[in-house]
Amino acid sequence: MRGSALGRRQARAGRLFVAPNLAAVLVFLLFPLGFSLYLSFHSWDLFSPPRFVGVANYRRLFADDPLFYIALRNTAVFTVFTLVPTVAVSLGVAGLLNRKMRGVGVFRTLAFLPLVASTVAMAVVFRFILASDDGPANILLGRLGLGPVPWLTDPGWAMVSLSLVTVWKSVPFATVILLAAMQGVPENLHEAARIDGAGGVRRFLSITVPLIRGALSFVFVITVINSVQAFDQAFALTGSNGGPETGTYVLGIMLFQNAFRFYEVGYASALAWVIFAILLGFTLIQQWLARRAESEL
Amino acid sequence: MKRRLTAGLFTYLALIVVAWCALTPILWSVSASLKSDGELLDTAPLPAHPQWSNYRAAFDAIPLARMLLNTVLYAACVTAGQVLFCSLAGYAFARLRFPGREVLFVGYLATLMVPLTVTVIPQFLLMRAFGWMDTPWSMIVPGLFGSAFGTYLMRQFFRTLPMELEEAAILDGCTPWQIFWRILLPHTRPAVMVLAILTWITVWNDFLWPLIMIQRNEYATATLGLVRLQGQYTTNWPLLMAAATILLLPLLLLYALAQRAFVRGIALSGLGGR
Repeated sequence: MRGSALGRRQARAGRLFVAPNLAAVLVFLLFPLGFSLYLSFHSWDLFSPPRFVGVANYRRLFADDPLFYIALRNTAVFTVFTLVPTVAVSLGVAGLLNRKMRGVGVFRTLAFLPLVASTVAMAVVFRFILASDDGPANILLGRLGLGPVPWLTDPGWAMVSLSLVTVWKSVPFATVILLAAMQGVPENLHEAARIDGAGGVRRFLSITVPLIRGALSFVFVITVINSVQAFDQAFALTGSNGGPETGTYVLGIMLFQNAFRFYEVGYASALAWVIFAILLGFTLIQQWLARRAESEL
Repeated sequence: MKRRLTAGLFTYLALIVVAWCALTPILWSVSASLKSDGELLDTAPLPAHPQWSNYRAAFDAIPLARMLLNTVLYAACVTAGQVLFCSLAGYAFARLRFPGREVLFVGYLATLMVPLTVTVIPQFLLMRAFGWMDTPWSMIVPGLFGSAFGTYLMRQFFRTLPMELEEAAILDGCTPWQIFWRILLPHTRPAVMVLAILTWITVWNDFLWPLIMIQRNEYATATLGLVRLQGQYTTNWPLLMAAATILLLPLLLLYALAQRAFVRGIALSGLGGR
C-alpha cells in the first residue's frame, strides 16, 4: 500500500521534472526536424504562403544547380584536408602527452588551450596572420627564402588556409578524446612488449592504437560531422560568399546564403536534408565498418 | 642510457613544438593588438611602445562594452537554465520510475544525432513567428529550459551516485523535490561544473545563431561585433586584434581556473557531441 503511494508520487514527480526539458526538446528540436522536412517539399519566400512542389527542390539541387556540385566538391576536399591532419596530428600529440615525464602537465594545459578559443575570433586572427604579401606568415616565409603565398587571394590556397584554421581548432578536442582513451590502456601490456624488445614507436602502433580504436573512430566521425557543417570559420575568414571565386564555397555557406540571404527557405531545407543524409550515410558506413573490424578480431 | 636521454630530449622538443603551435596564433593577436600601424610589419614579439589606445579605439568603433555585457547576460541565463532543468530531468531519468521513461530516454539519445544544419531554419522561422527576432528572447529562451545533451550528461552522473544516499530520506517521507534539492544535487557539483562550463563556452562563442537573429547593435553579442568590425576596418589590424583578444581572453582565464573540469567535460561530452 505504501509502496504504491510512493510509486504514484515518484511517477508524478518524474513527469513534472522532465516536463520543461521535454517541452524545450519538442519545440526547439523535434518540431524543427519535422518542419524542415515539410519545408523541403515546398517553395516559400517567407511572404506568400508556402506552395507544395513535391521533389522539385531536390531535383533543382541535383539537376539544375552547378553551385551545389561546387559546394559538394569543396566540402569533400575540405573534409579530407581537415580529417587527415586532425587524426594524424592528434594521435601523435596524444601519444606525446601520455608519456609520464616531468612537466607534461604544463604541456597538456598549453596544448588544450585552443579548446576554448572562439572559432570566429581565431578566423579573424588567422586572417591577419595570413594577410596578403606583408602578413606575418609571408614575412616569416620570406626570411626562409620562400613565398609569398597567396593564402587568401588564390581560390586553391584559400581552401588550404580554411583547413589550417579548422585543424588548429579541432586537434585539441581530438587529442583530449584520444588521451582519455590512452590512459585506459593497461600498463602491463606495454611492460610485456618492452621485455619482448619492442621500441616506443612499435609499442604505440601495435598496442596503444588498436586498443583505442573506439575513440579513434569517434574522432573520425565527429571531425567529419563538423567539417561537413563548417560555417563560422568560412564566414569570418573568407566572407559570406565563399570566395575568392568559389574557392571556399562549402555546403554551410550555401545553406546560409539560400536560407538567410535569398530567403529560399524550402530550397535551403532540401539542402539541409541532403547534408543530413550525407552525414547519416557516413555514420552508418562507419558503424558497419567498425562492427566488421570487431568480428574479424 | 644515452639512447634514452636522446629520446627524452626529442620528446621535450616535440612537446615544445606542439605548445608553440597552440599558443602562437593567440599570442600573435595579443602582441598585434598592442602595436602601432607602423610596427605591425615588424615581427618582433613585443611592441616597443604598447599602444593601449587600440583597445580604446575598439570600444569606440562599436558598442563593444554593451555587446560583451549582452554576451555575459545571455550566457548566464542559458547556463543557469541548463543547469537547473537538465539536472532535474537527469535526476528523473536516473532515479524516478514513471511510465514511458525508457522510451522517452531513447528518444532523447536519438535527438543527439540531429545536426544543427537541419534545425536552424525552422528555429529561425519559429523565432520569427513568436516575434522574437532581434530581441534578447531569441538568444535566451531556446536554451533556457535545457537540452537533450545536458540531460544525458546529468543522468549519467546521477546514476553513479550510491542508492544509500537517499534511502533514509525516502523512509522519512521526503518528497522527490527535497531529495533532489537537499541530498543529491550537492553531490553533483563536478557534473554541474562541467555542464555549466560547456554551456557558457558554447553561448560565448556562438556565431551563426546571433548572426541570423540579431540586427541591432544594442542586442548583439561580442562575436557579432567582431565580425561587423572586421567588415568595416579590414585594414586596421591592431584594432581588430584588440577586439579578438577581448573575445579570447576571458575564456582563456576561465580555462586557466577550471582546466581540470573543462578537459573532463570535453572527454565526457565526447559521448554526445553538440
